[in-house]
Amino acid sequence: MRSAPLPLSHFQALLIFAFLSSLALACLTDRTPVERLKYAARSFALFVIIAVGIAWAMFPLSH
Amino acid sequence: MTDPNPTEQAAVQAPAKQNSAAPFIAIAAWIVPGLGHLLLRRWARAIVFFIAAGGLAITGYLLRGNVFPPRSGDAFGTLGFLADAGSGVFYVLARFIETAGADVSRAAGDYGTRFIAAAGVVNSISVCDAYEIASRRRN
Repeated sequence: MRSAPLPLSHFQALLIFAFLSSLALACLTDRTPVERLKYAARSFALFVIIAVGIAWAMFPLSH
Repeated sequence: MTDPNPTEQAAVQAPAKQNSAAPFIAIAAWIVPGLGHLLLRRWARAIVFFIAAGGLAITGYLLRGNVFPPRSGDAFGTLGFLADAGSGVFYVLARFIETAGADVSRAAGDYGTRFIAAAGVVNSISVCDAYEIASRRRN
């Protein structure tokens, strides 16, 4: 069976997803460019922190 | 109490003039992510939406995510198709990029399925945004 042509770890996939989604969400806001950048950064951080938090919360279920 | 500025008063009272090209801009935005904003001369938004939708879709294909066909036979498949087809031209590109087909037996393939659906959702949001800007409902 052929593997994926883009070998990514779970965390790398999360980073790419969070980055691209945050960019799109920030672009929808009616703010100044600087505020949009801050919004994107905050959204990216929340994506990553919440995903890692949920992963740790689910850790006992897998053991 | 002073009278309001006549220009501002006219702007409030007169309904925003509808742009008859708005539906065509929405269709263009759906076919190529960012094209609607490009036609509206919103360069930054056009580039960001193209990169976001395109990046999500191509990453999803490279992770060998599942691309839902138009006729899947069940409600979940139809919902998946609607989400995937939202990415416009990138939905068609799937057959050229993901030549080996989907592999959702691994986590990467499952993530890929979500990436592809997210690309469609992001582009659908950008279509709504382009339509609203074209019809002058927002700046």
